[in-house]
Parts: sequence; structure tokens; C-alpha cells
Amino acid sequence: MKTKDRGRKLAGRNRLLACVLAAALSALLSVDGSARTVKDQTGRMVNVPENPHRLVSLAPNITEIVYALGLGDELVGDTENCDFPPEATSKPHVGTMVNPSLERIVALKPDLALGTPEANRRETADQLERLGIPLYGVTARTLQGTLASIEDLGKVLGRQAEARRLVSQMQTRIDRVENRIKGQPEPKVLFVVWYRPLITVGPHTFIADVIRAAGGIPIGENLQGEWPRLTLEELLPLSPDVILFPKAESFSPSLEEFRGLSGWKDLRAVKDGRMFFVSETVMRVGPRLVDALEELANIIHPRQP
Amino acid sequence: MTVPATPRNVIMVSLAMFLLLVLVVLASLTMGAVHLPLQAVWGALAARGGNSEAAVIVLQIRLPRILLAILVGAALSVAGTGLQALLRNPLADPYVLGISSGAAVGAIFALWIGGRIAAASPVAAFAGAMITMVWVYLLGRSGGRLASYTLILAGVITASFLSAIILFMLTLLSTRDVRGIAFWLMGDLSATPVAELRILAPAIVLAIAGVYVLAKDLNVLLLGAEEAAHLGVNVVRVELGVYILASLLTGIAVSTSGAIGYLGLLVPHLGRMLVGNDHRMLLPTAALGGAILLVLSDTLARTALAPSELPVGAVTAVAGAPVFIYLLRKTAG
Repeated sequence: MKTKDRGRKLAGRNRLLACVLAAALSALLSVDGSARTVKDQTGRMVNVPENPHRLVSLAPNITEIVYALGLGDELVGDTENCDFPPEATSKPHVGTMVNPSLERIVALKPDLALGTPEANRRETADQLERLGIPLYGVTARTLQGTLASIEDLGKVLGRQAEARRLVSQMQTRIDRVENRIKGQPEPKVLFVVWYRPLITVGPHTFIADVIRAAGGIPIGENLQGEWPRLTLEELLPLSPDVILFPKAESFSPSLEEFRGLSGWKDLRAVKDGRMFFVSETVMRVGPRLVDALEELANIIHPRQP
Repeated sequence: MTVPATPRNVIMVSLAMFLLLVLVVLASLTMGAVHLPLQAVWGALAARGGNSEAAVIVLQIRLPRILLAILVGAALSVAGTGLQALLRNPLADPYVLGISSGAAVGAIFALWIGGRIAAASPVAAFAGAMITMVWVYLLGRSGGRLASYTLILAGVITASFLSAIILFMLTLLSTRDVRGIAFWLMGDLSATPVAELRILAPAIVLAIAGVYVLAKDLNVLLLGAEEAAHLGVNVVRVELGVYILASLLTGIAVSTSGAIGYLGLLVPHLGRMLVGNDHRMLLPTAALGGAILLVLSDTLARTALAPSELPVGAVTAVAGAPVFIYLLRKTAG
């Protein structure tokens, strides 16, 4: 038999066997409740085991949430991009968020994979499904949504108590920020994702939501999409009071250089020197979002001495 | 080198290349991001299944990918060979007539609509490819014939126009979908489920067989259309047949695995360097040669920087050019 045919027959027979096993297994499991079908945060139906203890995280923010819920030991694999907490870098890596190695994931024998549509591909989710590895989707577009997402994940992973505690701590800090800045005038804030061409955040992104919670008005409430481009001409009349830059290695110019850039140097925020770096945690939808919120609030509404 | 296309020679060369393909496939099954000992690989193949980690990796991850590489490599190489004969132009490749751009527009359009349509983007891509095939035919025929000059122009113009549409549509997509499409545009052999292979394999094999039926006529067509007609070839029917079959092969390949370049252009040339211009010999050589090269490229793509994966289109480009230059200098003497 030609290898091509044998391969196909193997694949066919293997699939049949897998289907029969899966059917038998799910019949058994649903009887004693060790696995259940739930709707994940993206609306997909996922077959989640009752007490998952071999987790693979496909995004850095999910890794942070998993550790924050006390499940660091249950995490058997994460991506190369997972850099917080520091222990996460020594976990076995399955590749990048965008194109993880299916082989590596399978070799780790996870009982649940965790991913997010913001970082992972639809194809990865489909492929994992075909291999019988459930992928629970996590997503949030707002600060409050992040809290809800963490609580939901806690429920799925059997850590409701830890999740509720974490979320209430986060809520306390959010409330504290809100109380401190209540009543103060809200400056217009430009968040620069990239400066050449100028790319900022859309009004419905969670960075915009964090800016609002920190007592600022994100520039461009009527801009479309997640990462709208602005020309400098469009920027000038919008006249931001504060400009924020993410502190990334790829961001080379020093803030001083912007005073010399044409178009930029005419902005009030540049002339007043109200340009600031913010740490990249503002882009990570996880427990440290409140750190970013406090950082932004301190920049936008500096504490009076 | 020219190998006379006697039936015996054709069978011998095809068999030799087929054996080489089997060896390459077996070697490729042992390589990947996870290091599996050889016994585990043979065990998984021999046991024909099972749930062990080796079985899942070898049979459900690597094998479908390798099979797809064989099908797509053969499809693109035969399409390229056929189009180079049809257009009497050694620079022709499966994408010059706009098929891949049409498939890309179809796929992006499906993603833009979203939801269930997005999940069926290979079907939409294939539809886009076929619509483009009909459009370019209507635009490029003259006097009922596929005169190469107008057809190439029609194809190039259509491809340019569609590329502009693609770029525009990319700005409409969400970041997530743009990322997905980027992989498709660079070539991705990993996203096709085994079930789809059952449909793809017979379709591609039949289309390649169809081109082979026209092999003798393609030889004559190379002399020129008028000469061919004088020699009794039904030029209109052969041209249309090759055009449709090459477009079908390209459309299927691109819809499932994106735009993998250089194969359709280079493999026919490599084939000609090895066995000569007779299509009865060249077509099987190109089909099997393309399959071998794409399996090798994909294996390299998924092992060179493991666990990261290179896009297979990048590997075919980077690897293909030097191989071609080497052989070119060798035959140029």
C-alpha cells in the first residue's frame, strides 16, 4: 500500500477510534460530571474538565492571571512572551502567541488550554479542538470586564475564592483612585502606540477605558477601529493636554526629541513638557491593570504634595 | 539533460522520484518541534493509531501536514508547467493570471463578513479563484482563442487590481483577522483538517491526470499555435483545457494553504533541466519534484526555529533561488 494511502487510512482509522473513544468517554464523564460543556468568554462552547490541573497558557496576560489565582504549579506550559511573574519564564515554552507549536502543546499533555482572541489565531483554536485539547477563550474590553473575566476564569479553574479575593482587592484600588480624582477637571490624553505614522488607541479599547478610569479623556472619541491612524494635522486641533508613550525597547526616541519634531513641537502638551512614559502593563489585560491605572492616575492627576 | 519519453523511461523516472518522496516523507515524520525517538515514530506508524503522545504528534499533526504539502507541491508545479506551455513563457507561474489574488480577496472577504462565513474562508477563497479564472478568460481571449499576449496582460492587470483591493480590505479588518490573513498570505500548511484532505486529494489527482492527458498536445503547442493546428491539434480545446485545469489546481492549492510562491515557477525549470522538454516526462517529474521540495521546505519551516515556525512561502523563496542558480550555472556550462 502506498504510504500516502496508508497514511490516509491510518488517519481515518485513528480518527474513527478517537471519535469512538471520545463518545464513550464523554458519555461516561457526563454521567459522573467530571467534564462539562460551558460557554467560554468568546461565546464558544468548550468541554472543560472539572478540576483542570495541567494548564497551558497561550498569552502573557492569562499567565499572569493563572499565577495570581495560585495555579502556578498547575501551569505546565506557556509562551515565549510570558514574562511575568519571573517564574513564568522558566516554564516549558510552546512558542509564540501567534503561532504556537502544536507538537509542543500536545507533548505537555494539558487538560485545558487558555487563550485569547486578541493574541491567538482562530486556526490555533480549531486545531487544538481537532486534537481533543479544549481551549477556553478569555477576553475583556474594559477595566470592569477584566475583573469579570478574572472571576469567570477562577470559576472555570476551580479557584472561585482566590478569584473573588483578587477581584475585590482590584476593585478597592480602583475605587480609591476614583475617589481621589473625583471632581477634578479631566485633561485630554493622547496615548501614542506608534509615532511615525501616529497611531493611537480607539475609543473602545481597554487602554481608552483605563484612561477614562484614571480621570482623562482619550483623544479621538469618534475615531474608528482599535488602532486608528492620525495625521499631525488632525492631531493639532484635538490639542491633547497629556501625551503618553508606552515604555518599550522598540521605542527609540527620547521624549526630548519630540520637542524638535515638526508638527509635534506645536502641541501644547509638548511645549508644557507633559509627555510621559508609561509601563507596558497598561496593555496587559490582567491583575496588573490596576497598577497601570494607578500609574496613569498619578500622571494625569499628580498628587498634591 | 533530455530523457526520451518512452513509457519505460517515464515509469522508471516516476518510480525513482516516488521512492525519493517516500524517503523524504518518512524522514520528515521523524522531525519536528518535539524530539521523538525513532522507535516511537515507527511504533506510532505501525500501531496505526492509539492515543500516545507520539501517535498524536506523528499521525495527527505531522502526517496531515506532509500529505497536504505533497498535494499542494504537486498541484502548483503542474499548474506552473501547464501555464508555461500555454503561455509559451518561461516566466509564467500559477499566480501570474491573478488566481491567487482572487483567492486572497475571497478569503479576506469571508473574514470581513465574519461569523460562520469566516470559518468557511477556504471555500470563499476557492470561489474567488474561480471567478477570477472566468473573468481573466473573458478579458484575455481574442477571437475565441487564448492568445498568450492578451491573456498575460489580462491576468497581470487583474492581479494588480485585486492586490489593491486586498490592501484596502486589510485596513477594514480587525487586528486579529489581519494577523490571520498574514499567515495565509505567507503560506500555511497547518490549518487544513484531515477531512478536507479526503476531498482535496482526488480533486488534485484528477486535475493533474487531466493535464497529463494533454501532455503530447502541449509538446506540439510549444511549436506555436498555427504549427500546432497544422499538425492536427485542436488548439482551442487544448488551450482551454490547460487553462481551466491549471486554474483549478492553483485555486485549490491557494485556498487551502495560501500563497506559496516560487514552486510553480521554479519546479518546471528544474524539471526541464533534469529530463528535458517532453511533457510526458516533464509532468510527472514536476509533480513529484514539487511534492518533494514542498515537503522539505515545510519540514525546514517547522524545525529551523522550533518552536517558532517560519512561513513556508519564505522558505521556498530563500531555498529555491540558490538551488535554481546552481543548476542554471551547471547547465549553462
